[in-house]
Amino acid sequence: MATHGDGTHKEDLKIVLKDIGQVYHLKKSADGSREFQALKDINLQVRAGEFVALVGPSGCGKSTLLDILAGLTRPSSGAVYIDGKEITGPALDRGIVLQGYALFPWRTVRRNVEFGLEIKKVPKSERRGISDHFIRLVGLEGFEEHYPHELSGGMKQRVAIARALAYDPEVLLMDEPFAAVDAQTRETLQDELLRIWDETKKTIIFVTHSIDEAVFLADRVAIFSSNPGTFREIVEVDLPRPRHNSDIRSSAEFGWVRHRIWELLQSRPSQECREGGNIVVKDAISPSATI
Amino acid sequence: MSVTGESLRRFLLRWSGVAVFLAAWEVAPRLDWIDPYFVPPFSTVLREAGVMFRDGTLGMHLVVSLWRAVAGLLTAILIGMPVGFLLGRRLVGVEQALRPILTVLSQVNPFSLLPVFLLFFGIGETAKVAVVSWVSLWPVMSFTITATRNVDPAQIRTALSMGISRLDLYCKVVLPAALPTIFTGMRVGAGLTFLILVAAEMLGSSAGLGYLVHNSAMNYLIPRIYAGATFIVVLGFLLNRLLLHVERRLSGVWEAGAFVTGPAGPAGAARLPGPAVSVAALGAVLIFIVFGGLEVSRINREAASYPSEALKHFGHIGQPVDR
Repeated sequence: MATHGDGTHKEDLKIVLKDIGQVYHLKKSADGSREFQALKDINLQVRAGEFVALVGPSGCGKSTLLDILAGLTRPSSGAVYIDGKEITGPALDRGIVLQGYALFPWRTVRRNVEFGLEIKKVPKSERRGISDHFIRLVGLEGFEEHYPHELSGGMKQRVAIARALAYDPEVLLMDEPFAAVDAQTRETLQDELLRIWDETKKTIIFVTHSIDEAVFLADRVAIFSSNPGTFREIVEVDLPRPRHNSDIRSSAEFGWVRHRIWELLQSRPSQECREGGNIVVKDAISPSATI
Repeated sequence: MSVTGESLRRFLLRWSGVAVFLAAWEVAPRLDWIDPYFVPPFSTVLREAGVMFRDGTLGMHLVVSLWRAVAGLLTAILIGMPVGFLLGRRLVGVEQALRPILTVLSQVNPFSLLPVFLLFFGIGETAKVAVVSWVSLWPVMSFTITATRNVDPAQIRTALSMGISRLDLYCKVVLPAALPTIFTGMRVGAGLTFLILVAAEMLGSSAGLGYLVHNSAMNYLIPRIYAGATFIVVLGFLLNRLLLHVERRLSGVWEAGAFVTGPAGPAGAARLPGPAVSVAALGAVLIFIVFGGLEVSRINREAASYPSEALKHFGHIGQPVDR
């Protein structure tokens, strides 16, 4: 675990989520306007360099929370602080990696990685060196001039990670980034992500619906429940680092933490799904996602 | 080897229909199955086309028609793309309010509007270019609206999360993402362009492929009618093929879903031509617009300086040939 000693604990806080709530006003029905509480009372403190995973059933508001962290959506109540300053919109201090890669297909790997640098108005001569570095970091050297459609799913996600890292954000926000790749590629990417995290010392918030993935990667796992989306519990993962997929998954500690989280997720069984909450949440989230 | 054999077989199969049609065209008049005066054999038509090609008539009419088509299409793109962009992304409410009237306008039969255009713009080049832009404006605009609205939200979220400016978002994300679909709109517009242009040239013009066909009919030069018509068909086909090629090239690269598994090699992979190619293509179009325009006005001046000739042609317009 990445504890840096109790003395410096306060100053090391990178992200503070304070009483975040998100309410959507749905279409008016006969009995007046309906409100949908997507998020309620979300409180979380993330240390610099920490790896926090968010798990929960689909439609519980994980992605909404990530949108709020990215500054793409303003919360209805509460606030997010990064380095003690309240965030008011998107900025290059946070990098984002989404499930669908969201690469720009008309740009080569290199030009995709350089996208944020162009936005940042980094001169062309410097961009090349930076993109070289991050393409090497994600293990894609030799593919600089390839287009996304020439790459496999795993390679595309590496490009997306390199693109998010290239403009040097301190926080990396990842929304189910490995959900679309096959199981084997997924494990490789997880190992790679931990290596990259170790090399770059970023603070990472990682949304996933896989308990295994959360336990393997994170220092702490925040467990969501839905309707309204809120943290049921935050579990510390005390597994030793560096972790490798080959050995840690078979360890007893891994199984124990995994089981504990599984129990927490099960403890109020599928009530949220039965209420048709999933559909409503999806409808309610999508407008904010398209902006 | 077998691959080339297979593709040759497919090629022959695909064009056999055209071959049979041309053979029938050649044989039927010769065997008097149809009146060879009304439908001359294909070889006669070809010979006529050869004559017109050698004396420069065909080239002259081709330049005039092509210039009108390109000028009209460019006008449609210059108006339709920015308006489509605005309606697609900025004024979504306005677009919803305008949609019925836009649908009605795009459904208006352009042929019925021809006299109106002639009223407003006279029988000069403006009328022809205006009517061509009118028909191609709608597909360009509606495809642009759809294209800009259907940009992958994840791409936009990613760009927005970097704090991208609105201008950069449009230039670096929305426009390139929408380009293949916008190009489809241009291709549809180009197809309609040729249709309406030929009709417009028949109604009031002193040059162009439509005029060539019409004038030949007025003068009972039957093989010339077929030669002109065939040439229009071939030209439309080639134009469509060219645009289709560019469009496929674009969407081959844009198609994010179709990824290759395993080590990706350059084999068969679609690549974008460098910016030099696009600049060269754009330059060629601009040069054609300028020099073609000069040529068209010269041809128009020459036609005007033979008033008797022009009068003779226009004098026939009211009287359809009895057939």
